[in-house]
Amino acid sequence: MTYAAGVDVGSTQTKAVILDEDLQIVGRALVSTGSNVTVAAETAYEMALQQGNIHEEEEGVGFIVGTGYGRYKVTFGDAQTTEISCHGRGAVHMFPGTRTVVDMGGQDTKAIKVSSTGEILDFFMNDKCAAGTGRFLGAAAMALDIPLDQLGPTALLSSKPVKITTTCTVFADGEILSLIGKGKKVEDVLLGVHHSVVSRSIGLLSRVGIEREVTFTGGVACNVGMVSVLNQELGFEVNVSEDSHYMGAVGAALFAMDRIVAGRSPARRSEAMA
Amino acid sequence: MPAVLDDYQSMSVEEAIGMCRDLVEDPDFPTVQRWRDAGGKVVGHFQVYFPEEIVHAAGMMPFKVRGAPVEARQGESHFGSYLCSILKTSLELALSGRVTLDMFVSHPICDSARNLAAVFGRNFEYPCEILYLPQNANSAHASTYLRGEYARLTREVEAVAGRSITPEQLRVSVGVFNENRRLLRELYEIKRETPWLLSVDRAYCLMAVGGMIPREEHNQLLAWAIPQIRKGSGTPQDRMRLVFAGGFCEQPPLDLLHTISQFSYVVDDDLLVGLRWILDDIPVGEDPLGDLAEAYLENSSYSPVQHDLRKPKEQMLLEQIKDASAGAAIITAAKMCEPGLDEVVAYTKALDDEGIPYFVSEFEERMTNFDSLQIQLETFIENLLFA
Amino acid sequence: MSSTTQLIPSAPADKKETSIVGRGNKEGNRLFREWYGELTSAPERKEHSAYVFVMGSLAEILRSFDIHTIFPEINGLQQAVRHVADDYIGQAEDYGFSADVCGYVKADVGLQLRGGDHPMGKIPPPSLAVYTNACNTYVKWAEIWERMYHVPTFTMDIPGSRAAGRLTWPGQVDFENDRKYVAGQINELIKLCEQVTGRSFDIDKLRETMAHTNTMSRKWKRLIELNKSTPAVYNAVTDGTVFLGMMNGYRGRPEGAKYFTDLVEEMEYKAANGIGTPFEEKYRLAFVGVPCYPIFRRFSEMFTEWGGSFVGSSYLWFASGGANLGYEYDLDHPLESLAEGLLVTVRDSMDSMFYSDKNLIDMIEPYGIDGIVYHPIKSCRTVSTGLADNRRAVMEATDVATLFVESDHMDKRVVSEAQLKNRVDAFFEGLATRRQRLTSTGPQNGRA
Repeated sequence: MTYAAGVDVGSTQTKAVILDEDLQIVGRALVSTGSNVTVAAETAYEMALQQGNIHEEEEGVGFIVGTGYGRYKVTFGDAQTTEISCHGRGAVHMFPGTRTVVDMGGQDTKAIKVSSTGEILDFFMNDKCAAGTGRFLGAAAMALDIPLDQLGPTALLSSKPVKITTTCTVFADGEILSLIGKGKKVEDVLLGVHHSVVSRSIGLLSRVGIEREVTFTGGVACNVGMVSVLNQELGFEVNVSEDSHYMGAVGAALFAMDRIVAGRSPARRSEAMA
Repeated sequence: MPAVLDDYQSMSVEEAIGMCRDLVEDPDFPTVQRWRDAGGKVVGHFQVYFPEEIVHAAGMMPFKVRGAPVEARQGESHFGSYLCSILKTSLELALSGRVTLDMFVSHPICDSARNLAAVFGRNFEYPCEILYLPQNANSAHASTYLRGEYARLTREVEAVAGRSITPEQLRVSVGVFNENRRLLRELYEIKRETPWLLSVDRAYCLMAVGGMIPREEHNQLLAWAIPQIRKGSGTPQDRMRLVFAGGFCEQPPLDLLHTISQFSYVVDDDLLVGLRWILDDIPVGEDPLGDLAEAYLENSSYSPVQHDLRKPKEQMLLEQIKDASAGAAIITAAKMCEPGLDEVVAYTKALDDEGIPYFVSEFEERMTNFDSLQIQLETFIENLLFA
Repeated sequence: MSSTTQLIPSAPADKKETSIVGRGNKEGNRLFREWYGELTSAPERKEHSAYVFVMGSLAEILRSFDIHTIFPEINGLQQAVRHVADDYIGQAEDYGFSADVCGYVKADVGLQLRGGDHPMGKIPPPSLAVYTNACNTYVKWAEIWERMYHVPTFTMDIPGSRAAGRLTWPGQVDFENDRKYVAGQINELIKLCEQVTGRSFDIDKLRETMAHTNTMSRKWKRLIELNKSTPAVYNAVTDGTVFLGMMNGYRGRPEGAKYFTDLVEEMEYKAANGIGTPFEEKYRLAFVGVPCYPIFRRFSEMFTEWGGSFVGSSYLWFASGGANLGYEYDLDHPLESLAEGLLVTVRDSMDSMFYSDKNLIDMIEPYGIDGIVYHPIKSCRTVSTGLADNRRAVMEATDVATLFVESDHMDKRVVSEAQLKNRVDAFFEGLATRRQRLTSTGPQNGRA
C-alpha cells in the first residue's frame, strides 16, 4: 500500500492528512503552527502517520505535498501547491457536486469556482481586511469572553440579529460592547456578527458566481451558526464535511496521489527527516 | 402624467419634509417607479451636472443617479477594491432592479466615474453613454463644441423617447428648470439668512427629492413649502455659521447632516451642487441648445471636478464663505474620492492663509455611526466659540 | 503601410545575432539616460521645458518650439523602480495629500518640494504644462503646478468615444464637431507656446516633428504585431516599459524614429530566427493595466518562473498615446491632420482603458493567448475601475483563463509580494491542469 500525504501550514494551525490508495483518509492531525513552521509541519505529519498506524519504513508515503502560506517551509515535502487549488480539489473529492467553494480560515476567506474534476476556474480572496473572515468572529469571541466553539451555538439561540455596522475588525469589539451596554442580548449581537461575516462572504462569492453545490471549508465551517446563517442567506444548504478543517490538506494529499500514480518518485527526503 | 408625490398639501410643512426625507432615503425610489407605472420613461444621469432640460423636453424623467445607502451585493462584484461607494451603489440600484432606466448618461467627472458608462453598457441593453462636457472651459471654442455635443445628445435622447424635440419644447423645459433653480436659490437664501428656520438636512430633503420626481411637481412642492418655512417659528441661536464642502458627488448620510445641524448652522454647501449648477436664469432665445451650452460655461457654480482657470476652487470657496458670512468651514471628501481628496489640500492651504478655521473629515454614504466625528466636530466648534 | 516580415539576408548568423539581439534594450537604456541628461542641463542652456503626459503629450507642437517634454509619469516610474518612491510620497503626504490618491502625483509633489532632485538627474520646473483629459488626474495634477509655479497650464480637451464600439469618423457630424474643437485648441496652444518662448510658430518644423512621429507610430504598430510570433520576441511588460520610455521621451525626434526603425529590425530578425526572450515560454499571456513598479523585477519573475510570457499588454496601447493604431499624419495639411490624429489616437488610449474587453477577446487567437492577467492598481482609477467588470465580460465571452491581482504601481504599502505570489501560483496551477486536460495526458485518477 502506498500512501499520499498533504500538509497544510496555515497562519494559526497546521494540518496533515494521509490518504490510502482508495483515497480514504487513514490519518489526520492538527497542531498549532506557532513560530517554527517547519517543526509544526513535521509534528503534524508525524502525528498523522501515528494516527493511521503507518510505518514509513515498511509501507511508503509515496509523495508529500505542502500547502498553505507556509508551504515552502515544508522542507520534507516533495512539491508545493497553493491552498486555493487544494481546497478546490479537496471539496470536489468530498462532495462531487461541488461547483463553488467558500473557504474561511483564521485569516482570510476564499471564494473558489471549480469544475467537476476539481479544476480551479476562478477565485477571489478577501485578504485586504479581516471583516469577512474568521478573525471578525474571533474578535467578537474575545469581546464577549466566549470560547470560539460556543460562538455558533450561542448565536443560534437568537432569532433577532442586531445589525452590526462596523466593518473593521479592530473596532468591532467597541461596537459589540456598546450594544451590550445598551441592553442588547448577547445572542442577538452574536447572530448579528455572524450575519455580518456571511454577508461579506456572499459578496466575495458573487465575484466568482454562486453555482450549486456550494461547499463550505476551513476552520470556520465548524461553526454551526455560520453554517445556519449561510444556508439562510443563500437560500439553500451548503455542504459541510466533518473534515472541513482538513480540506486543504486533503486536496494536497490528492495532488500527491496524482504524482504517485503518474509514477513520479519523490525527492530524497530521509535526510531532512533524520 | 399623474402626480408621483403623495398629497402633501394636506400635510404640515414638517410632515411634508418628512415625506421628502423618506423618499430621499428610500433605495427603491418609489416616485420613479410610479412614473414608470404611468408609462413614463426614465433617463438616469450621473453626477455632477447634466442638462436635464433636454431629457425633460423629450417627455422623459431625468433621474439623478447619486448612489444610495444600500448594500451593494451585486454591485461590489463588478468592481475591485479602493473605490468610492457611490459607483457600486449606483450600479446596484440598476442591477437589483430597484430602478429601471431607459438610458444612462455620465460625464467624465473623475477617473472612477468615467468608467461607469462602460460598466453599465456591458450589463444593460439600453443605451449607456458618455456626455463629454468641455474640460477646457477656457477655450474660445468650447461653447460651439458644447452646443454640438448637446445636439448629439438630443438625437440620442430623441431616439430613446421615440419622438423629436422642437426648440419650443426645449424653451418650455428651460423655463421649468429656470423656475426650479430660482426656487432652490430661495431655499438656500432662507438657509443662509435665517438658518434657524431651515436646517441643512431639512433643506437637503426638499432639494434632493427634485432629482427623482418630475420637475413641475418639485416646483409646486417648493412654491408651497417656502412661504410656510419663512413664516416658521424658530429663534436665532448662538451657533457657529459653517460652509460645508465635499458633497458634490457621493452624498453624506442625512443623519450626518442632521447631527451637524444640531450644534451649528450650515449656511452654505456644495451638496448636490449639480442641481444648482446654473446660477441665474438661462435667457432663452432662438437657440435654446446654444443658450444651455453658454450657461454651462459662463454662468455656473464650481466644483473640484470642473477645471476652469477663471474659477480656482479655493478662491471660490473663500468667496462662498465670505458671502455666507460663515466663520469656519467643514472640508470633507467621500472615502476614496480622488478629486475631493486632492482639493482638500488646496482648500486647507488657502484657509490657513486667510486664517479661517476649518475641520477636515471623510465620510461614506453608507456610514451609520458618527459618534467619533460628532465629538471631534463639537469640540472644534466649542473651541471656536469660546476661544 | 504594413511591412511584411522578411527573412533577414546575408550576415552570418552569429555575428548578426550578437550585434542585433538585445540592441533595443541597450540603446533604449542609453538614450533614456541621455534624455534625462538633456533635461537636467536644459536650464543652463536657458531652454524651456513643459510638463506633459503619455496620453497625448503634444510633443509635435512642443518640439517644434524646441520645448523639452518632461513626463512626471516617467519620473515617477523611475522613482519606484529605483526604490526611492516612498520618501517622495511620504513628503507629499506630510504636505497634506491623502494616502488614497494617485502615487504618481505624490511622488511628483515630493519631487517638486525637493527642487527636482531625482535619481535620474535634476528635473527642471515647468515653463508650462500641457495635458489632455485622457486622465482626469492630469487636470488635478496641473492645478497643483499652477498653484506652485504660477505657470500657464493648458488643457487639450479631446472628446473620447461616447460608448463602446461607437467610433465616429471624418465626415460624420459628431466627429467634425469634436475635430473643430481640437483644431481650435491646437491654435490656442500654439499661441501659448509663442508667448512662452517668444518665438514664432514654424510650420515646417512642425512637419518635421510630425514626420518623425509618423515613423515611430508605424513602427510601434509593427512592433506590437511582431509578438504574434512564437516564441514572443519581447516581454510586453518589462521590455515594454523600455519601449514606452522611448516612445514618449523621444516622440517627434529623429533619434526616436531611428530607435524604432532599428528596434523593428531587431524584432523581425528575432521572429524570423525563432529567437525569443531569455525565459522559457510555456504560457502566452496578456497583461491588462499598469505594472507593479515597486517590486518590478520580482513581479516579472513570478510569471517567468512558471514559463509565463507576456506577449501583449494594454499598457502598450494606452500609455503610448494610441500609437498602436499606427496613425500617420498627412504632412501636407499638418494642423488639420494633427487635430484628426489627436482625436483618433487619444480617443483610442481612452478606449484601451475603458472598453478594452473587445480588443482583448480579439487578441486571443492571433496571439495564441493562454491567459489574461488583470492588474488593477489602487493609484489609478482610470485604468482599474472597470477591470473587474471587463474581466467578467471576457470570461463570459471566451473560456480563456484569467487572473485578477491588485497592487499598486508606486505605493509599496499596498503591494504584498506574498499575496501576489499566492495568486499567481494558483493561476499557473490552473493553467497547467487545464493544459493537461486539453491534451489528455497526465494523471487520470485522484478524482472522485
